Amino acid sequence: MSNTKSLLTIKDLYAGIEEKQIIKGFNLDIKPGEVHAIMGPNGAGKSTMGYVLSGRDGYEVESGSVTFNGQNLLEMEIEERANAGLFLAFQYPVEIPGVSNLEFLKASVDAVRAANGEEAISSSELLKQAKAACKQVDLPLAFLKRGVNEGFSGGEKKRNELMQMLLLKPKLCILDETDSGLDIDALQLVAKGVNSQRSEDRSFIIVTHYQRLLDYIKPDFVHVLADGKIVKSGDASLALELESQGYAWLENGNVEAKIEG
Amino acid sequence: MSEWLESAISRGHQIDDWLAPKRTQAIDLLSTTPWPTRKTEAWRYTSLRAVQNSKAHEIETKTNLLPEHITNLSAIELVFVNGKLDKQQLPDVLPKGLSISLGSDLNKEQQSQALANFSDIKPKRHLFGLVNDALAQDVVIVNVEDGFNIKQPLRISSLLSLGAESHTRVQVTLGKESHLAVIEDVQAEGDSLCTAFVEYQVSAKAHLEHYRFALQTGSNVAVGGCHFNLLDHSSMHSTIVAFGSDLSRLDTDIIHSGEFVDAKLNAIYLLDGNELFDLHATVEHAMPNGTTEENVRCIVAGRSKAVFNGRIHIHRDAQKTLAELNNRNLLMTNTAEINTKPELEIYADDVRCAHGATSAQVDKQALYYLQTRGIDRAKASVMLNFGFINELIDLMPNTVLSEWIRPIIRNRFSAMEVK
Repeated sequence: MSNTKSLLTIKDLYAGIEEKQIIKGFNLDIKPGEVHAIMGPNGAGKSTMGYVLSGRDGYEVESGSVTFNGQNLLEMEIEERANAGLFLAFQYPVEIPGVSNLEFLKASVDAVRAANGEEAISSSELLKQAKAACKQVDLPLAFLKRGVNEGFSGGEKKRNELMQMLLLKPKLCILDETDSGLDIDALQLVAKGVNSQRSEDRSFIIVTHYQRLLDYIKPDFVHVLADGKIVKSGDASLALELESQGYAWLENGNVEAKIEG
Repeated sequence: MSEWLESAISRGHQIDDWLAPKRTQAIDLLSTTPWPTRKTEAWRYTSLRAVQNSKAHEIETKTNLLPEHITNLSAIELVFVNGKLDKQQLPDVLPKGLSISLGSDLNKEQQSQALANFSDIKPKRHLFGLVNDALAQDVVIVNVEDGFNIKQPLRISSLLSLGAESHTRVQVTLGKESHLAVIEDVQAEGDSLCTAFVEYQVSAKAHLEHYRFALQTGSNVAVGGCHFNLLDHSSMHSTIVAFGSDLSRLDTDIIHSGEFVDAKLNAIYLLDGNELFDLHATVEHAMPNGTTEENVRCIVAGRSKAVFNGRIHIHRDAQKTLAELNNRNLLMTNTAEINTKPELEIYADDVRCAHGATSAQVDKQALYYLQTRGIDRAKASVMLNFGFINELIDLMPNTVLSEWIRPIIRNRFSAMEVK
């Protein structure tokens, strides 16, 4: 395992939005096929991590490095990161009325294919794949014709994110609180979708506040994020521990003590 | 007064027909109306130079113009050629409940009824509406009887040959609990001038589905209007799609004359080059419990100019009105111009009313989202800009028309994008 080349290496990253520093010395190493869960209280910087990695405007990196698949991720444009295999499933996917889901999927799949030197997908092949993906995440086919996320419920938006992931086949998927606002059935469906995509060459970062998603997607590693850095790492059992203790222990200033213990 | 208007008035004086009393009224008003200048509020951003300089004139000879074919559309075709109704293009048999007649063909009794209704809905303040009253060549009267749902849309096309001038007029009445879809369009070969006015009386519980396509471009000058009078529990859904020309101006009036009226108006403009399109949309909430939803979206490129004036007037008795006016604009170049003015005048105290106008670049959040899916910024902007317009096309109730217009708009948009 230790001989395998890393897919993502984040070293001593400091980043934030405008003048506000949110990520404060973040380190993480992910190898192909690994599933990492990042847990932490609200405001710890969980979503910011995803925005920084995806290259969102306004999020500035002060120092540190991020290497993705051998490339300097921080020098790449947003779309280049996506085309290199980085996928961020949003907590609150944006609605884009007027742009149909199918048109969007085609543009997206074609962009990724072009980056890999492949020809554009035919409309009929895309439709076939999209229909299969819809079926897998239990989205009605009519949603392909609707505007991107337009009028979708919270759960439907999450499933639409997952559907895109199925079509784009990224190397690294960051799921930003994909479990929030989902009932247990939807949660299981999402987990099933993710599990179906686990493979030796695909890694996941699952960002979540709660442990319950991890009942269905078993992580290899669990990290606790607090105040912009990882304060504790462990295996799947750490998530259960957090569930029973909550995050209050982080806020009482006894982080160090807890880690030493 | 301009020479053009003087000539129009003198031509109007010479017409002696069943409409004469209305023509005289209009001419009297025109004679005392000053020709608009930059200081005239209704024409502040739209110069009438193109009208003054127009050499278009009424052409008697019939041309072989046919309305552009709309794939899969099966409509009742009402065709004006250079302002004259082309009776040959009317179907021999009309659907039950629908009648179409030429004002001059009516008997005396019918004519006096038509005369009473004529220009009853269109407000007198529209200068070119008065010109149309004075000069209307053929007046066509369309009636839907109470309770009839006319499944086939009625398409009113005005075709103009090179250099032609036309003044078309249609009076549409929807009886109680009836339904009709009307498509208005103009096709012109250049250097033309038209005033095309349609008045709609929508009786209780009736529903009007309405489209106006102002796609004539270049040197075709068009000044027209659509005026809707809505009675109790009636509803309308209107879509306006416009390209600009040397001068293209449309005035709409939606009048809530009854309670519980529901009106929707969506307008799209795509302008390029030196084109101008000006929409003045007025909504009168004269009665309580009415709702209005108005969406106006413009994309302007080149040195084109968009003008939008959206006035919503809520009268003192129009309690429980819900009115929303939204105007969004996209500037593709910094040489294009958008002049927008939403106006709310509210005299009732228990109403919900919102308006907004924005001129902006692309929605940054949506752009970011598309980029995170691998789509480059330039392509993502194009998708979003088109989506901005397409959103209103998606709302067109008639999918045959939306499937027809979407590629036309997409092509025009692509041409704008290339520059």
